Amino acid sequence: MKIERVQLTNFRQYFEIHRITFSLDPDCNVTVIHGVNGAGKTSFFTALNWCLYGESVDNIGQIISKEAVSRAKSGEIVETKVAITFYHDGERFTASRQLRGQKHTDGTIEEARGDTEFMLMRIPRGGVAESVKNPIGVMNTILPSNVRTYFLFDGEKIDNFARPEAAHEVRDAIYQVLSLEVLTRARDHLKNAARELRGQLKGVVSDELKVLIEQDTNLRADEDRLEKRIEQLKEEIVSAERHISEVNQQLRTFEEVQNLQRQHDLLTQQLKERQKERETLIEGIRDIASQSYISMSEKPITMALALLDEKRQRGEIPSNIREQFIKDLLERGICICGRRFDEHDNAHEHLENLMKTSVPTSLEDNVLSTAGYLRSLQERGNENRQRLNQRMKDKADLDRKIEGLAAQIDDLERQMEGSEHVEVSNLAKQRDEYRADIDGYQEEKIRAEMELEGIKQDIKDLEKKISQAEKTQYRERLLSKKLELAQDASDAINQVYEKFAEQKRKEVEEQTRLIFHELAWKADHFQDVRLTDDYQLEVIDRYGMPARPELSAGERQVLSLSFITAMAKVAQNEAPLIMDTPFGRLSSAHREAITNNLPALAPQLVLFVTDEELRDQSLDNLRPRIGAEYRLIFDHKTSCTEIKEVK
Amino acid sequence: MSTATRTKGRVNIETNVRDIYESLSKGSNPLSTPFRTMKDVFVLAACIGFEKGIRRPLEGGKHQPFHYAQLSEPVDIPLLKAIAIATTDDITTLADLDEVVAIAEEFANEGINDIRQYVLEHPGEPLWNLVEAIR
Repeated sequence: MKIERVQLTNFRQYFEIHRITFSLDPDCNVTVIHGVNGAGKTSFFTALNWCLYGESVDNIGQIISKEAVSRAKSGEIVETKVAITFYHDGERFTASRQLRGQKHTDGTIEEARGDTEFMLMRIPRGGVAESVKNPIGVMNTILPSNVRTYFLFDGEKIDNFARPEAAHEVRDAIYQVLSLEVLTRARDHLKNAARELRGQLKGVVSDELKVLIEQDTNLRADEDRLEKRIEQLKEEIVSAERHISEVNQQLRTFEEVQNLQRQHDLLTQQLKERQKERETLIEGIRDIASQSYISMSEKPITMALALLDEKRQRGEIPSNIREQFIKDLLERGICICGRRFDEHDNAHEHLENLMKTSVPTSLEDNVLSTAGYLRSLQERGNENRQRLNQRMKDKADLDRKIEGLAAQIDDLERQMEGSEHVEVSNLAKQRDEYRADIDGYQEEKIRAEMELEGIKQDIKDLEKKISQAEKTQYRERLLSKKLELAQDASDAINQVYEKFAEQKRKEVEEQTRLIFHELAWKADHFQDVRLTDDYQLEVIDRYGMPARPELSAGERQVLSLSFITAMAKVAQNEAPLIMDTPFGRLSSAHREAITNNLPALAPQLVLFVTDEELRDQSLDNLRPRIGAEYRLIFDHKTSCTEIKEVK
Repeated sequence: MSTATRTKGRVNIETNVRDIYESLSKGSNPLSTPFRTMKDVFVLAACIGFEKGIRRPLEGGKHQPFHYAQLSEPVDIPLLKAIAIATTDDITTLADLDEVVAIAEEFANEGINDIRQYVLEHPGEPLWNLVEAIR
């Protein structure tokens, strides 16, 4: 979707008709609308939302222009309308919404809110316009209502995604913008359908099958319960980790324990690194152990080589005379000395005997290569054993280091807990509590995962039994088939969904990382941006530590903006980025970085800005990409806004 | 040559030991799944069976956990060939890969129970049990 033109008629302070054309030029894709506070930027922005999505727009207030109402006679109908002409997938549309109201004798107007008219017209240039049937449905396929806030967004709320508790919003955004929600709905729908069919099936089947289906239903209910609990536990763990990070942050602010906390941070980081090293080391040990058969195969290798050597000593391998050569001599009936012989000669008999004892060429090659490999395996067996011993020794050393670090951390925590400063002591104790909570959640999660694994296996086994059970009644067969189909489809969608969701999460993460590094002026300080499995947006600083709690308001805004533009890039649907006062809370360094890079991140960019937030270098940065520019001028005499094009 | 029915190019194990193979090799935690692949379990099982000198023919249902192509040219195949010719005392066995594998299957059928016992049923993490057993 790319917007060509917007027409406002009697919309709030926009009295009568106002038209504004947005830039469609891909090289100059920015449209800037300047206006001081109160000039009408937010009203214009609201008009776009109202036109496309109607009453779902929050706290909209009176829509019909007060000036138009004041000029109307009592009882007269006053009308407001917003029309947006746009291109989508090569076609040109106009979406319009209008609302009427009748002026009362006391000068007020009653807007017929429940009766707005939304219309979508397909209007080819120079062609005949036609009305689109099911306009709301079609509009929702072009830019779905639930994703609009990610493309038409309010600068004041832009840091929402970077808040620590925003995991749900981040996940919802990804699901909605990247169409994962459709898959979620399909999966849930099929799961419910399968559940209903299972219920129906119980009523018509044999007792044996009834028992199996009952077991299956119960197992699936347990499966659902456990899956939900595991999700809850993951969230609890994330939340407790967040609290620990906040406590650490607070402890850093107390002079009395600043040094202790700094040491604590350092040791915690070292502990994490050692634990990571340990994981890698264990993987290496597994690699060697998995091929332990190399060092366990001494006996067969020795026996086989002895057999092969014996053959060699007996002159059979490699045979001095090749099988093919003997065959040739027998066929031609001529000895290598040139003498002719026939079938009754001694020479013929001698060659026949040689043929019988000679090894076929292919086998001879096989023998030679096998012997070669076996000799090298004898050496590898010893090497593997030595490597394994060395790695086990390294692991023991690493375990000792980890224990030492854990003991030091424990000691620091005890010191903080014992601090005379009550607040410090309480915070340190809280941290300990949170850690204990995490241990408890982890334990419960592992237990639930193991139980879930068992249940999934039981379901699989039951599925087999159920499908094997005799199906005699027609209805039973039909229902069973439907059930099987619903379950198979649900499972298939689930698999697709999981892979797709994971792929999209990674794509959004990668794009967010790239964009954040372009937009943040302290890009060198921030080493990495991650979108974790639990949909937490996380920034990692140069020390490898999570830095989100320390981000300034401006940096949080940049992080959110990076995430939103990353989604816009990853999303299949082309949509404009329309931003109301996006730079208000940013420092000049961030504004400059953003204005340098933002136009390249969206197909069309529309900015509603005050002069204070877009000036100097930031405006100069944007200037070459500005294709259309307007100024909103508020008339104090009429309380109406005029739109002037900036030439 | 073994008369066991053979799916072309695939290695056989008894169905009732399939869960042992899976427990040893399927999973993301190296501590509880000490083998990278079922193929690695099979070759070690064959070596142990040979060491014990017990070939136990496959009975009952059969499962084909992997293809010959998973056996590596420079390590696994020469090793199984060594077991085969050390068993038959006949180098012509080398030319018949089906025969080589069939012999290994019977030794592995014996060896797998030892692996289960040492690695899975001993107290402690399976990886450390395996390391302890092979050092």
